[in-house]
Amino acid sequence: MTTTASKVDIRPTVDVAAALRRNRRRRTVRATTVLTALAVLVFALFVVTMMIGSFRIGPFDVIASVLHLSDNAGVDFVVRELRLPTAMSGLGVGLALGASGTIFQQVLRNPLASPDFVGVTSGAGLAAVVAIVLLGTGGLVVSGLALGGAVLAASLMYVLAWKDGVTGYRFILIGVGIAAFFDGLIGFVLSHAQLFEARQAMHWLTGSVGQASDTELRLLFVGLLVLLPVAVLLQRPLRALDLGDDAARTLGTRAELSRAALLGTALVLVALAVSVAGPIVFVALVAGPIANRLLGPATGGIVAAALVGAATLLAADLIAVHVLPVALPTGVVTGAVGAPYLLWLLATTNRQGAGG
Amino acid sequence: MSRLHTKELTLGYDDRDVVSGLDVTIPDGRVTAIVGANACGKSTLLRGLARLLTPRGGAVYLDGKALAELRTQDVAKVLGLLPQSPVAPDGITVADLVSRGRYPHQGWFRRWNDNDHDAVSRALAATGTADLLDRPIRSLSGGQRQRVWVAMALAQETDLLLLDEPTTFLDINHQVELLRLLRQLNAESGKTIVVVLHDLNLACRFVDHLIAMSDGRIVAEGPPTEVVTADLVEKVFGLSCLVVPDPVAGTPMIVPA
Repeated sequence: MTTTASKVDIRPTVDVAAALRRNRRRRTVRATTVLTALAVLVFALFVVTMMIGSFRIGPFDVIASVLHLSDNAGVDFVVRELRLPTAMSGLGVGLALGASGTIFQQVLRNPLASPDFVGVTSGAGLAAVVAIVLLGTGGLVVSGLALGGAVLAASLMYVLAWKDGVTGYRFILIGVGIAAFFDGLIGFVLSHAQLFEARQAMHWLTGSVGQASDTELRLLFVGLLVLLPVAVLLQRPLRALDLGDDAARTLGTRAELSRAALLGTALVLVALAVSVAGPIVFVALVAGPIANRLLGPATGGIVAAALVGAATLLAADLIAVHVLPVALPTGVVTGAVGAPYLLWLLATTNRQGAGG
Repeated sequence: MSRLHTKELTLGYDDRDVVSGLDVTIPDGRVTAIVGANACGKSTLLRGLARLLTPRGGAVYLDGKALAELRTQDVAKVLGLLPQSPVAPDGITVADLVSRGRYPHQGWFRRWNDNDHDAVSRALAATGTADLLDRPIRSLSGGQRQRVWVAMALAQETDLLLLDEPTTFLDINHQVELLRLLRQLNAESGKTIVVVLHDLNLACRFVDHLIAMSDGRIVAEGPPTEVVTADLVEKVFGLSCLVVPDPVAGTPMIVPA
């Protein structure tokens, strides 16, 4: 020992343990409050979706009918047959998009890296359009092909952009390129379609929660029941991956494996959502950042983002169908609201120098 | 036998070996510095010791077992590393970041308990970052930020702590402050500390054991007073110099000739 190290003054000026406890309690209370409020909001929007329309039904009648507690053939028909599928689809698609978007953004460490932006949604869209227009199929085949398209787009991204890491705009640019490529192919397929099928495909491509079939919906909810809990478990390695690969590994995560599991989960979720409602844009992009605003910075809550996604989509559908003078597909509304947000995001990430 | 040592360790990237055939022994309960010119393989060696690089030949042994055969999470309870450029998620606060050091002690379902709480409190107190709890990392000065990262590594409660060039972006005052902190941590808890350093004078002043590297090989090993000579500096850094005793501590001090 050779130093005469005078001690660094490390005495804390506050009672550290107590301050830390207060800090944690504050965060727990905030998380609980936010999640409860979001769940209530989503439930309310879910019920409202089934209340309004040309034939108005009260909230308790809606709930009673859904739970099979009442027996009113007229109400039951409107609620269960006409409006429940739309509400379920809005709920499920929103949850899937929100969870999937925030996972992509966090794993790729970029707020622009939502699946609708880096070409994953376009890949799923292309596969679905091929199924509708060229193969003339629907239902499960469309879902399966959409998943295949999403995986294809993701693998392309991986091959072209991954090798030197995923930071900076290079990755986003390649993603945007892939999206453009697939969108071009979609245009090509559409130009070879019959008028009727082209219309059908165009409608599908705008994205709407009102077009889901029973099979697709059932598949989506089975997927959500399995994958949302998986995503919640994967939140743990995600928090470590947040600190960079080196730090994540020294903290004891298997970084590559965790990342593959997270992206795999997000891919399946987005593919299921796209196959049910078409490529609804911007919900996946905004859900994560909004959830972060609510929970506090760097929280990255997947459940909160899923709930925000569901609330956003249900609200957008209500606006698209009931508020606007002409009923429009949901995707038109999310696009109109999402575009200004995107511009703001592009402007601010550059100013902060966070874009690489 | 020391807890952390290597046998004929070969490490590299892509198509070339950066270090080959290294036998290194890290003395237990001491502060060790790895020094050398740029690109001499010192960071590579540290990454190998921390299991961030898989050996191409030979092995790193931790408590007598090959590092590559241990479970990642078990290693993380014994061996911590502060990477050269860790990423702070946007807006993350000091409390949140330091708490993440508890990761290897938690499980899929066991999240936060009193041990975690105590470890984080101690880490905050030891690094003098307790007052910063609610501050976002981004708002801190370079010196504060580095202490917060050290606090995260401390919260991990490992017996061995490796730091990859922790003083690089700090001014001289904060470099000294950080090295004093490491000394103090070593004195108080007997933690084994290995640090990659650029500044040979600071290394001589603050560490017990020096590993000098050149071209992927070890040129000298031992206490600074014994190994640092004008000859060694010439060999390792290609700098001709005088070595005089540091007027304050008497440790070797390099003065360019």
